[in-house]
Amino acid sequence: MQEGRLQYIIATLDKELYGFDVRYIESIIEMQKITRVPGSQKHYLGVVNLRGEIIPVMSLRRKLGLADDEFTDVSRIIIVRPEAGDETVGIAVDEVNEVITLGIDALDTLDYDKKDVSSNYNIAIGKSGDNLINLLNITKLIIEEEDSN
Amino acid sequence: MDVSQYMEMFIDESEEHLQSLNTHILVLEKEPDNSETINEIFRAAHSLKGMSGTMGYSKMQKLTHDMENVLQEVRNGNMKVTSRLVDVLFEGLDALEAYLENIQKDGNEGPKDYSEISKSLNEILEEGLKAEDGKTEDKDKKTETKEEKSSEVESEKIKKTDEKHGKYKFKDLYFEEHEKKAIAKAHSLGLNVVGLTIYLQEYCVLKGARAFMVNRNIEEYGEIIKLYPSAQDLEDENYDFDYSAFVVTRESPDKIAKVASGVSEVKEVVADYIRMSDEEIEKYSIAAEQEKLKLKADRILGNKPRTVKKEKKTVVNRSVRVDIEKLDALMNQVSELIIAKNSLVSLSEEPDESNEGEFDELLDYLERITTNLHESVMKVRMVPIESVVNRFPRMVRDISKQLDKQMELYMTGEETELDRTLIDEIGEPLMHLLRNAADHGLESNEERALIGKEPVGSIYLDAYQEGNTVVIEVRDDGGGINTENIKKSELEKGHISQEQADAMTEKELIDLLFKPSVSTAEKITNISGRGVGLDVVKTKIEALGGDIEARTELGQGSTFIIRLPLTLAILQSLMVVIGGERYAIPLGNIQTVEKIEKDEIKTLQGKEVIYLRDDIIPIIRVAEVLDCEAEKKEAKEIVIIFKKGDRQGGLVIDQLHGQQEIVIKSIGKYIKSHKIVSGATILGNGDVALILDVNSLI
Repeated sequence: MQEGRLQYIIATLDKELYGFDVRYIESIIEMQKITRVPGSQKHYLGVVNLRGEIIPVMSLRRKLGLADDEFTDVSRIIIVRPEAGDETVGIAVDEVNEVITLGIDALDTLDYDKKDVSSNYNIAIGKSGDNLINLLNITKLIIEEEDSN
Repeated sequence: MDVSQYMEMFIDESEEHLQSLNTHILVLEKEPDNSETINEIFRAAHSLKGMSGTMGYSKMQKLTHDMENVLQEVRNGNMKVTSRLVDVLFEGLDALEAYLENIQKDGNEGPKDYSEISKSLNEILEEGLKAEDGKTEDKDKKTETKEEKSSEVESEKIKKTDEKHGKYKFKDLYFEEHEKKAIAKAHSLGLNVVGLTIYLQEYCVLKGARAFMVNRNIEEYGEIIKLYPSAQDLEDENYDFDYSAFVVTRESPDKIAKVASGVSEVKEVVADYIRMSDEEIEKYSIAAEQEKLKLKADRILGNKPRTVKKEKKTVVNRSVRVDIEKLDALMNQVSELIIAKNSLVSLSEEPDESNEGEFDELLDYLERITTNLHESVMKVRMVPIESVVNRFPRMVRDISKQLDKQMELYMTGEETELDRTLIDEIGEPLMHLLRNAADHGLESNEERALIGKEPVGSIYLDAYQEGNTVVIEVRDDGGGINTENIKKSELEKGHISQEQADAMTEKELIDLLFKPSVSTAEKITNISGRGVGLDVVKTKIEALGGDIEARTELGQGSTFIIRLPLTLAILQSLMVVIGGERYAIPLGNIQTVEKIEKDEIKTLQGKEVIYLRDDIIPIIRVAEVLDCEAEKKEAKEIVIIFKKGDRQGGLVIDQLHGQQEIVIKSIGKYIKSHKIVSGATILGNGDVALILDVNSLI
């Protein structure tokens, strides 16, 4: 990877594109049986078994305040590690498309309206060809302040 | 010298020594003449001094050095142990602990300076010695009187600046009892005693090393029985450029002097015989024989046994000491596992019908081995709570002094073991409970006498194992908790309404104590009473997977009962289905599983109960708790009866799927859960099932 260029995994939700910084990603797995956890946050679907490890899975849709999930064959769980050396979390998405590389010049920021939930989690907007991608702030997505939710 | 690699060892060993000091100073307080205890304290202080010196922690070194000085005099019988000394020793101990804590945190001793303690120690030292000097003719052993002063023409008081003998400084020095005995013995054996003063060049850099080399050379020709300054001071370079030594040898002074000056950077050495009159020789020889004195050369040269008797306490922080036996058991079981695996491999290589039976047998065997293996590993993780509770006697003593209230702490079950992750955490809650008992539970000594109780209050700490849990009880025989006061205080503060107050049971009122800012204390003392303690204790204990309960009897006392889980990783569980979802319920507290007719479930005070074998047991519809829909039953409900302490509960479930040994796994830190969820496990088919902690329901 060249200096100043970052790679992102692109996932689709409701015709919008979301970019996950490759440095945080452990793996991407197929949708599997999720066990509900009573008393969990609303945006968490539950936990899954990943090769003997129990991983919590959150719904990106719910977190961003979009319409609820309807899982299909192409639904995926992106396993991320928000803090180096620490635990992992799964993020359920509709579909994973591709990996793209972006240089700094392809990044842009958008002034966001604080009330707009979804744009709170963006680090920046990426431009790739004709597409605009919401580059997600994975740390902010997963690590919640105490008062939210 | 880079000593950072020794940091871990330094901290571990220092903690051990500090613990030893703690225990032994406590003993010393009760038995001021116990010479073994005094020796232990001295050894611990000495080791600490050496270690801290090596690591470069001069404050610790100085403090332990001063402590050692005082202890040295006590050891030699030159001064007595007073209660002031014990107090100061404790202060010193606290200071050392503070230093060590800082070192652990920041790598240095921290900004605080406890030099006042050194000052106190030195004062005590002076006073103590003076006091003993005063007491003369009564004592048989110590005859440091004018008698010696007259016979010892050459010796005066220890004053380095005394120029009476010019550069023959050694002649100015004063011998102690045991040194005189050594000299007498030497003379009676026909050996010489040579005194010398060694002068080093002013430009000599490594004075400590230099002195060591000189002494080593001298020792080839005899035994050094005295050094002034002491060997330790020489090592620490606490001297100018000269020191004196006394050697028992066959050689002449000139020879010894020559040997000593053979070391580079030695400017000059003067030597002469040390003589003793015949009567003196007799006097001290007899004394020596009576005492069976051995020449204490090794003591003088500082070769004290550095290996302090290592107590079998496990160091809790970074490492755990494990019994060799436990490790051996582990080894054996792993071997068995390997053998079983091999059998499995060979069986699978020739699969045919006749092997079916063998296969099952092997599976059983495997099951047994893995269970045993697990148990062994768990045992390795287990640490006796002793390492936590041994601080408590000291703490109670301090509180007792602080409150001016006499009390005694009685502990049982210190050998009860807890998982080591719990050991660290359990100390503070227990301390808080003890403080509460001491401060609020126990009445003052006078009050107690008035109402006919023993004036000295008692606090009991008992630990024992009960099924799958470890129980720790903190009990006092004080005045008990007045639930009326709690009710009143809460009403006044507006935390509860009158109706609520009236409706509350005794138990509910006591449970109020565990809410933040609830207290019946009229006075907030330094120790407790603010009402922020018990709720923190409860939270802490629950975070560890345990629970706490309070019982009281007005006028008799109160008991706080803490329950903690014994094993953490593998559990025997009942597999159930609730609301269509699979759950595991640990077997530990389960009594029975009953099929109850729906109409046997009665309502009492608005709550569902059943009457079973003379007990009224509350029913819990756990599906509601878990926010799912229970299966509608036609006639009979399946109810799991479980027990917590002396209370029981009945859990309504949909289906029972049998018993299974499960591995407990955490659900991770990012996802929250209802407090009834205590973990998760992976089933044979790969699905995840949550583990329910039913204790939290009653």
